[in-house]
Amino acid sequence: MQVGVGVVFFLFVILWTAVLWWVATRASRPTPYEAVTRVVSWLRRWGTLAVLVVLAIAFVVSLFFLPYRASRAARLGEPSVTVEVTGRMWAWELSRTTLPLGQTVEFVVTATDVNHGFGIFAPDGRLVTQVQAMPGYTNRLLYRFDEPGTYTIRCLEFCATGHHVMRTEFVVE
Amino acid sequence: MTTGRNGNSAVAQRSVERATLIYMAVGFAVFLLMGVLGLLMRLQHAGWISLDPRWFYRLMTLHGSGMVAGVLLASLGGVARVIAPRIGLSPRLLWSAFVVYFLGSGLVILATLVGGFAAGWTATYPLPVRGDWPVSATWGFLLGYALVAVAFLLWCLAVLAGSWRAFGGLRNALAWPVLFRRSGASDRPLPTGPELAATVVALDGVIAVLAGVVYLVPIFAELLGIVERFDALFAKNMLFLFGHTLVNLNIYLAVALVYATLGAYTGRAFKLSFPVALAFNLVIVLVLLPYFHHLYQDFAQPWPLHLLGQIGSYGVGVPAFFVTIVGSLGLLYGSNVRWSAPVIFILAGLWGWTIGGVAAILDGTIAINNVMHNTLWVPAHFHSYYLFGAAGFTWAYLFHTLSGVDGWASGALARRLSWLYSVGAGGFVLAFFFSGLQSVPRRFAVHLAAWQGLAQLAVPFVVLLGVAFVGLAVLAVRALPCAWREPVTVPGPADD
Repeated sequence: MQVGVGVVFFLFVILWTAVLWWVATRASRPTPYEAVTRVVSWLRRWGTLAVLVVLAIAFVVSLFFLPYRASRAARLGEPSVTVEVTGRMWAWELSRTTLPLGQTVEFVVTATDVNHGFGIFAPDGRLVTQVQAMPGYTNRLLYRFDEPGTYTIRCLEFCATGHHVMRTEFVVE
Repeated sequence: MTTGRNGNSAVAQRSVERATLIYMAVGFAVFLLMGVLGLLMRLQHAGWISLDPRWFYRLMTLHGSGMVAGVLLASLGGVARVIAPRIGLSPRLLWSAFVVYFLGSGLVILATLVGGFAAGWTATYPLPVRGDWPVSATWGFLLGYALVAVAFLLWCLAVLAGSWRAFGGLRNALAWPVLFRRSGASDRPLPTGPELAATVVALDGVIAVLAGVVYLVPIFAELLGIVERFDALFAKNMLFLFGHTLVNLNIYLAVALVYATLGAYTGRAFKLSFPVALAFNLVIVLVLLPYFHHLYQDFAQPWPLHLLGQIGSYGVGVPAFFVTIVGSLGLLYGSNVRWSAPVIFILAGLWGWTIGGVAAILDGTIAINNVMHNTLWVPAHFHSYYLFGAAGFTWAYLFHTLSGVDGWASGALARRLSWLYSVGAGGFVLAFFFSGLQSVPRRFAVHLAAWQGLAQLAVPFVVLLGVAFVGLAVLAVRALPCAWREPVTVPGPADD
């Protein structure tokens, strides 16, 4: 996911930098404002329409990849393993630390004191999914691990002095 | 005593002008000081200094809250100065707001540096009342926030009252005759772009402050022992309705300053046309919706609100892009522009605000947010539109105010420093974006060795940024006494 986001984003950065460079280099060449306003009006009308269409398509497509329980259960299947997770300053408690490869796992996540963020990092360091751990609430996160190895859980919601040391690990095999 | 067309006497108007100058100057100074804290944080991330985590998080909390407060203060001052000639602002309200703002900011500084409060600038409940710092620090910080919110509310009320008087009601103040294509129905004037933006910000500002009150009052009740605890999810909703909206409104204030600045250098004026009126009226609603994207990972929140957040995150950028950004490029193109520091800041701002907006749209997509939320992608996107947009546009107007079109800001030194700022700020935010793609968590006092390389790359760019701002600050300070004595430049005829 991160690679795709990076490609889209940096392509846009290059394109946008080029557009601004083009406008800036032509800023000193006198052009009648009436001619410019015609282009601006055209861009506003058709550009808005084009962007709205693109965003609408992106919105609809993104609905098939929601991280919420029903959506993931439909894509990955109902969970065969459940892990109870509790976050507290500054440690994670997991009901089990060895998880099966290729099966859907349900993390049942809560917190006892303040908000924490339950972030799962793959062995290569990528963040693969996350959910908030909030006192008084239980959040259910489904995920299927297709790569074996040691996964790291880091807190992704700032929780004061020990935030950066709030981590633990589990093994997928 | 005679009064001007805006209802203020000459003495009152001079007082308003001086208040706005103080707002901008103090906001700029706070921005520079908070920037030093930002440099310390990036040096820590690079592994080149070793701050105790307690101190890192205090500085992080102060950096975030101070930056928001400083830039907002300067933007409020700038916009007040722009609209003051036609909208009679109460000098008493403006100065009162400044004093309250100053007291609130002082409390925040004391609470973090002396009291040890370190819950981050967002201070998400229940962390403020469960953190490992004295309860007195929590009181100080939250009372400081409350005072800053009260000051912002005073500004909003001053603008709404003045706008109501100047345009004969909200209908005209929001340019509805333009929106609904009805003309000649009233002998009252219609607002210019900056005046319309100010009214919209003031309206939403009142709503944001109300959300802030709903957030803070239960926390104070808990601190006083009146209630044991309250709902953390509801609190988070109120917090971000307040905080996210406030920060977003800052960009619309800054947009008003673009309208006020760019025309002076291009000889072209923003027209209050149908698209502009439509965009700003849409913003009144759209700016209140994206805050839900802060709660995507709270799966307990009803999912329709998540979808509403995604729609809001997608939608809010569209009017801003096609009205302000495309309109600004239209002002620049072929205008025989006089290149100077304000114009360079605005051009850089259009770059950073847009890429920050695109990054926000990506992160505002629920599926993507699941692997980007609370990584350095988030500070990457908000530093882009805040440093380049909200702050950059405001400093463009500040430099324009202190220099005029032909003054020091058009000199070679000011222009070189402005390009230096653009390069420094660009490198700084791009390093953040790469770190976000690398899944580096945000708000970590200590970074793994594998994460430090990009921070090490960012530091020289932050230094460039610092050098540019120090240079520009020296030039600006020298011009301050003259601006203090001179009356404000009366703008040309209102936009049609």
